[in-house]
Amino acid sequence: MSKIVKKVKERLRDFRRPGYYKEFEYNWTMVIDLDKCNGCEACVVACHAENNLPIVGKDECSKSRAFNWIRIERYVEGEFPNVKVKFIPIMCQHCNSAPCELGCPVYATYHNQDGLNVQVYNRCVGTFTCATYCPYDVRRFNWFTYKWPEPLDQQLNPDVTVREMGVMEKCTFCIQRIRVAKDRAKDENRKVRDGEVVPACVQSCPTGALVFGDRNDPKSRVAKLAKSPRRFRLLEGLNTDPSVIYLKRVMKKSGSKKHGEHG
Amino acid sequence: MKRRDFLKYLGSGIVGTGVGLAFGKVTKPPGAKLIPYLIPPEDVIPGVATWYASLCTQCSAGCGILVKVMEGRAKKIEGNPLHPVNKGRLCARGNAALQALYNPDRIKGPMKRTGERGSGKYKEISWNEAVSILGRNLSELDKNGATEGLYVLTSTLRGHLNTLIREFMSSYGSPNYMQYELFQHRNLIYANRVSMGLDAIPHYDIANTRYLLSFGADFSSTWLSPVNLSHGYGEMRQGGARRRGVLVQVEPRLSLTGANADEWVPVRPGTEGVLALSIAHEIVAGGYYKGADASSWKELLSGFSPEHAARVTEVDAGRIHHIAKEFVKTRPSLAIGGDNLSAYRDGLSCLVAVNILNHLAGNIGRKGGVVPNPAGLLKGRTGTELRKDRITALAKSALEGDVKTLIVYNTNPVFTTPAGVKLERALRNVPFIASLSSFMDETTAMADLILPSHTSLEDWGDDFAEPSTGVRVATLMQPAVSPVFDTRGAGDIFISLAKALGGKVGERLNYKGFPEYLKESWRKIYANNKEVAAGALTFDGFWNRLLEHGGWWQTEEPRHKPRSVSVRRVKAHIPTSPSEFEGDEGRYPLYLVTYPHAGYLDGRGANLPWLQEMPDPMTAVVWGSWVEINPKTARKLGIKQGDLVTVESPYGGIDLPAFLYEGIRPDTVAVPIGQGHRLYGRYAEKRGVNPIEILPVAEDKRSGELALNSTRVRLERKGADGKLVKMGVRTEELGRGIVQTITPEEFERIAGKEEA
Ligand code: SF4
Ligand code: SF4
Repeated sequence: MSKIVKKVKERLRDFRRPGYYKEFEYNWTMVIDLDKCNGCEACVVACHAENNLPIVGKDECSKSRAFNWIRIERYVEGEFPNVKVKFIPIMCQHCNSAPCELGCPVYATYHNQDGLNVQVYNRCVGTFTCATYCPYDVRRFNWFTYKWPEPLDQQLNPDVTVREMGVMEKCTFCIQRIRVAKDRAKDENRKVRDGEVVPACVQSCPTGALVFGDRNDPKSRVAKLAKSPRRFRLLEGLNTDPSVIYLKRVMKKSGSKKHGEHG
Repeated sequence: MKRRDFLKYLGSGIVGTGVGLAFGKVTKPPGAKLIPYLIPPEDVIPGVATWYASLCTQCSAGCGILVKVMEGRAKKIEGNPLHPVNKGRLCARGNAALQALYNPDRIKGPMKRTGERGSGKYKEISWNEAVSILGRNLSELDKNGATEGLYVLTSTLRGHLNTLIREFMSSYGSPNYMQYELFQHRNLIYANRVSMGLDAIPHYDIANTRYLLSFGADFSSTWLSPVNLSHGYGEMRQGGARRRGVLVQVEPRLSLTGANADEWVPVRPGTEGVLALSIAHEIVAGGYYKGADASSWKELLSGFSPEHAARVTEVDAGRIHHIAKEFVKTRPSLAIGGDNLSAYRDGLSCLVAVNILNHLAGNIGRKGGVVPNPAGLLKGRTGTELRKDRITALAKSALEGDVKTLIVYNTNPVFTTPAGVKLERALRNVPFIASLSSFMDETTAMADLILPSHTSLEDWGDDFAEPSTGVRVATLMQPAVSPVFDTRGAGDIFISLAKALGGKVGERLNYKGFPEYLKESWRKIYANNKEVAAGALTFDGFWNRLLEHGGWWQTEEPRHKPRSVSVRRVKAHIPTSPSEFEGDEGRYPLYLVTYPHAGYLDGRGANLPWLQEMPDPMTAVVWGSWVEINPKTARKLGIKQGDLVTVESPYGGIDLPAFLYEGIRPDTVAVPIGQGHRLYGRYAEKRGVNPIEILPVAEDKRSGELALNSTRVRLERKGADGKLVKMGVRTEELGRGIVQTITPEEFERIAGKEEA
């Protein structure tokens, strides 16, 4: 018994070594071009449809208990008429040194070998530690077991677990889609091709702001975009090493007025 | 995308063609509980998805979709990557169509009214009975020589369902087939006709433009063809070109599109037309327009100097001059107008002014400009026909007793017309109303007989997108799942009616069902059109390919045929003064602007819980409506965020919570359209308010479009708790550098170093 425990411990230590995922086959990455995103929220609804997210209703929304694995934040700066608005889609950043993973007493959230931060629902006991540690506020808790009235339940995606009361959840980068692609690639004895995994949000996005792929493949779109001089990561100073790379919005500095630009 | 990639895209899935391939036959007894695969149907493999290519009908853009079906149930809708309109993408509403299909508040089978009209008391009946009741009613009209008393009112239909209803009506003997919904771009079509001789909507090539001047068109949420235009927007910004396209948005209230603009021009409501013509004035005065008729343009525009316009529009003369210069010098440039612009009383003229801008800058028929579409494969409603389809005319005929029987399909005019039209009262005057709606909405509640139709995921159909993308596009709709309830396709209902009626109608529409009608019609297209038939040896092969791909479209680059706008043509239509607003300025000091909510559009999306809980893109409000007020104005009136406020126009008042918004002029307030349903299922009912109720009846005489920005209002604080719920707590970055930016100049320096 203790041998097994020792082995598990070693393995877990391994999994927490920063940057270890780079030695593995895939390093899933999302690139988000803030200069393309127009804040339309198509991604938000697509995510609901794919990942069996519940609807909680107005009262629960007012208690900040709504479920959004991906959300659009909006920042409104300045006063009329010099108003600047900026949008940013935020989902789990799949940090490679993830604060949430350190806190979980039951290893419900851990790092897998593809660099994904995953959540094991049936290990989760709902201590809320991960959500407290997460600097990006992407974790959502099932305060209740939410039920769809019939026949809305017929839409539920059989590829994704339906969660119950007491469980923490968050964006998985549509791991079910990654699984399918990896299985197929394995059957065909090859690697997953660039563009073969398309998470639901990426699929929907009308403007093409979201791109997903494997950064370990130097020819992939994300690997190329990740080198953009516009790249940055969210709250980089926290050293969480996120797998989501943002490209800066192109925007005039507020206050810098060109000729004729007033009133 | 190539066909091979398409199949690859579907991955482990299968391309489906028609549910169970059982053409026109329902594979599952509707209403019955499904017994899970005692005898599994042949094409169902548990755990493996089948993908059906079909059509989105959540708005009239006509996007192509793929529906993922597992074990006979629809799970997910994605964009069809082959489709030229949405290019594999999908908007929020398109995603939510699943919840229309599986909505718990759908009408589950045919019903007959038993109580008072509007009381909601109905009795379930069989389809045979329902069809024979309506059939008897129509025979009766026929016997009395009153076939013209039959009116059919539908949403915008462009495909063969439209043809079928037209044939039905003409052989029955009634000219009264109307298409009406709130957002039909009537002004735009008419403006294009009078200015360019184009009785249609062109493709706006945003992707390739470098300077986009938008007058109120909110294409990021709802305007025209949101997915197509948003995709274009993404390309314009970061499509790999060295020069990033610029967006300038002219509107009194910052819309979602405006929020993404490089420059916002917060013009005084109703004066956009004057502003546009003043920009035109500057183009001509600056000698940028080289046409032979430059002098007559100069004369036409002489009254629109920037100095004059500045006084009217409250936009600085220098700024007008600057925009004109940028607009004409940046190549290619494009001006568009819609939503807010089209919604003024004088919206049509304002749109003519936008066309003038495109003409003067040489943008019509250019890549990156206005691209007129080739004539579609099938003629839908022409602009001329559309202009006659007026809801006020219908109300009048109903009041005068001309409407004997009314059949309504897929449109809810009681919700989308101002109280002043008195549509509900008019409808009470109609002896017999049949509704083919899947949902109990405000209009269906007036019906004596309900024949619930399929939702788009259960039905056959087709569409010829307008606007398309500079090429011909035909999209096929096929059932992805068996009917969830005891419903029928709208086309099937008309065909069974024809059977019940017999005679000329029965002969003309002698088909087994709508699928057969559709297939036969396509057989004709196949036989008569070489381009469509190319590459398919037999019709069956062609038909299967249609179903597999989700339609047919030209794959070549659009041809750019220039068109021009002449002074003679537009003279009578240009806006000479600001649009009018009702209500005395002293008593009603604020302009009211209404706009379609990104999720609910004209109200039809309000019964879908995903859309109710989708934060509004600008305000993050969920499950309700609100009035947007500039903080300065609010302060003056003692109104705080979330307070309950009465918005009163000369036509009535509505109570709703205040949302303080820096993106609106202090003299303007805005209310989204879509909430405030009295009926429409558990998710929509008694939630928020409907601002259309307090609007005057202001219909453009030329086009029949209803002006939504046509009245002034006053505000009064009513109480503290307006029950405003919004998601997201902060809208300030607090120096955290969350959305990092670089300047356009910096970007130009680094552009090209980026490979995508
Ligand atoms: S779908 Fe795309 S454009 Fe729309 S909010 Fe999401 S990331 Fe932005
Ligand atoms: S734009 Fe209209 S047609 Fe296209 S996906 Fe959205 S609702 Fe459907």
